[in-house]
Amino acid sequence: MNWRRTLLIIALLTPGLGVIVIMIGSVFYVAVMQSFGFYNLVGEESFSLEHWQKVLDSKQFSRALRYSAYIATVAAIGSVTLAYPIAIWLRRPFRGSLVISALLKAPLFVPGLVASFLFLNVIAFHGIVNQFMMWIGVTDAPIRLQNDRGAWGVVFLQLWKNMPFALLLLTGAVQSISDEVLDAARDLGAGSFARFRKIIAPLTVQAMQAALIIIFIGAAGDFAFQVTAGPTNVQSMAQYMVFLKDSFGRWNQAAVVGVSLMVLALCGSLVLAVLSRALLRSGNRW
Amino acid sequence: MTALRSIDVSKVFEDGFTALADITLSIEPGEFVTLLGPSGCGKTTLLKIFAGFYEPTTGRIEQDGKDVTNAPPEKRDTAMCFQSYALFPHLSVAENIEFGPKQNKVNRDERLTRLNDLLRQVDLEQHRHKLPNKLSGGQQQRVALARALAMRPSVVLFDEPLSNLDAKLRESVRREIRGLQREFGFTAIYVTHDQSEALAMSDRVVVLNGGRIEQIGAPEEVYQRPDTAFVADFIGSANLLPFQRVDDHVVETALGRLTVSGPPDDAAGFLCWRPEHAQYGVTEGDNVVNAAVSELAYQGSYTDLHISPPGVPDQRLHWPGPASGVSDQVTFRLPPEHIRFVRGKLG
Repeated sequence: MNWRRTLLIIALLTPGLGVIVIMIGSVFYVAVMQSFGFYNLVGEESFSLEHWQKVLDSKQFSRALRYSAYIATVAAIGSVTLAYPIAIWLRRPFRGSLVISALLKAPLFVPGLVASFLFLNVIAFHGIVNQFMMWIGVTDAPIRLQNDRGAWGVVFLQLWKNMPFALLLLTGAVQSISDEVLDAARDLGAGSFARFRKIIAPLTVQAMQAALIIIFIGAAGDFAFQVTAGPTNVQSMAQYMVFLKDSFGRWNQAAVVGVSLMVLALCGSLVLAVLSRALLRSGNRW
Repeated sequence: MTALRSIDVSKVFEDGFTALADITLSIEPGEFVTLLGPSGCGKTTLLKIFAGFYEPTTGRIEQDGKDVTNAPPEKRDTAMCFQSYALFPHLSVAENIEFGPKQNKVNRDERLTRLNDLLRQVDLEQHRHKLPNKLSGGQQQRVALARALAMRPSVVLFDEPLSNLDAKLRESVRREIRGLQREFGFTAIYVTHDQSEALAMSDRVVVLNGGRIEQIGAPEEVYQRPDTAFVADFIGSANLLPFQRVDDHVVETALGRLTVSGPPDDAAGFLCWRPEHAQYGVTEGDNVVNAAVSELAYQGSYTDLHISPPGVPDQRLHWPGPASGVSDQVTFRLPPEHIRFVRGKLG
C-alpha cells in the first residue's frame, strides 16, 4: 500500500473516526489530567499525586470499588446465565414465542431511574409485596425491604434491566447454530447440558463476551439504581464520584474515582472475556 | 434377528401433514438399504424416526428386537451422517471424531486407537488438527463418516450425504462409503433421491412415494421389474402406455398391436418398456414400430430420441450412437420379454 492510498484511507475515515477519537479521547484526557492536578476549576494547576494518594487511602473508595466490582460482576454473569436458557428455549419459533420474546425485551425500553421508582413502589412499606405478606399472614407489620444492606434490590434491578439485553445478543447467536449440528451432538451421545457446554456456548462465545463486557461496564458505572434502591452503608463508584464533587468541590479526587472506574471497567471486561473463553476451552478438552 | 424394524409406523406433523403412513420395514444386520424417493416422500422423516429425532405418531421401532420407539437419539445404537455434514465448526478434525467416544466415556487409549485408525481409513491423517472449514466438501464428508463410525454403531444412517458434492467426487465418496460399510460390517440406511446412487450402492432399495412404500427389492429387481408406474418412471427412464387387452398375448396400444410374453394384468394401468430395450435394424415381425422422431438429444454414449404417438406422452428411445446417424423416421422392435405391466397412476 503506497502512502497516497494510506492517506486517502485516513482522510476517508477521519469524519467518523476522528469525531469518536476526539470526543472520547478528550474526555479521557481531561479526566486523567485532572486526577493529576491539571484542569483545576479553582486554584493553581500543577502536577500532583496527592489526589490519587488521598483517594486510594480512603476506606470509602476501596469499599466503593469492591462494591461496584461485585455488582458489575453479578449483573454481567447473572444476566448472561438467565438469558442463555431463554435464548435456547426461543431458538425455534413456536406459537406465542414472538410475544414472549417481545415481553422479555420490554425492560430495555424502561429508563433505569423509572425502573428503580417502580421497584420502590413494589417493595416499599406500602408496596404490594408487604401488603401481600400481611394479607397471607407471613408478617403482622410491613418489613423494610428498601435499600437492603445486601444490595439484593440493586442486583434484582440490574438483572431485570440487563437480562433482556443479553437475551437480545444471545438469541441471534443461538439461532445461528444449525439444527443439524445440535442433532449431531445429540446423536453422538451429548445430553442437554453437554450440548450447551460443548456446542452452544463455544459457538456463541463472542455474543456471550459482548454481553458480559457491555453489561459489566454499564453496571460498574451504575448511579440511578444505587441512589434509589441501593444500600445506604456503601456507595457505588459513580455515587462516590458525585459525592466528592458535590460535597466539597473536590473535582480532582472525583476525577481519580472516574479514572479508577474506567480502569475497573476495562480490567473487569478483560477478565470476564478471557475467563469465559478459557473456561470454554477447558470444557472442550473434556 | 433384524437390525432395525419399523412396524406400522406413521407420522403426522402438527400442521396435519401426513409424512408417513403404515411403514413396515425390516432391515437385516450388515445390510445396505436405500430409502429412495422424490422430495417430500417421507424418506428423511423415516430416517429421523430410526435415529430418534422424531417420534412416530403410531407404530413402533425395534432395534435388535428391543422396542426403542421412545428412546432418545443419544440412547440408541445408531449414528447419523447429515446432509450438511453437521461438523462442529469450533473443533478440529480429531476433536470432531473423538466427540462421540468422549461423550460415551470411552477410555483414552481406546479413543486414540479409534481416532488414528479412522483417520488412516478416511485418509485424513495430515488434516487432524485442521478446523472443518479448512477442508473440502469431500474431506468434510469423510470426517462426518469417521465421526459416526468412531461410535462403533451397529446402524449408520445417511441423510443424502453426497448431495453437496460434485458428480466426480460423489462417485469416489460413494465407493468409499460402501467400502467402509463392508469393512466395518455395520448396517446402513441411506436416504437419497438419486436413483443411480441407490442402484449402485444398495443391497435393497425401498422406493417411497407420498409417505408409503411403493416397492422393496434388490436394485436389479426394482429396475427390471417395477411393480408400479411410479417406480418405473422414477427409477431410470420408462415409457408408459395405456393398453387394451386383445387376447392373452396381444394388447392394443398407441404404438399399435404388441405381443407380450405373458397374459396382461387386467388390474394394471400401463404397459411399460425401457428406452434401452428397443432393438434397431429389425424391420419385420411382431412388435416392429415405425415412428417419426419428434426430438433428439445427444447424451454422449447414446442419443435420446423422442417419438410422439397420438394421445399418449412422448415415448423415449436410446439410439446407440451419435445424433448424426438418426433420420426423421425410426424403426425399432420391442422384445416381448421386456414389456411389463405396472399398476397405479402417474404423478
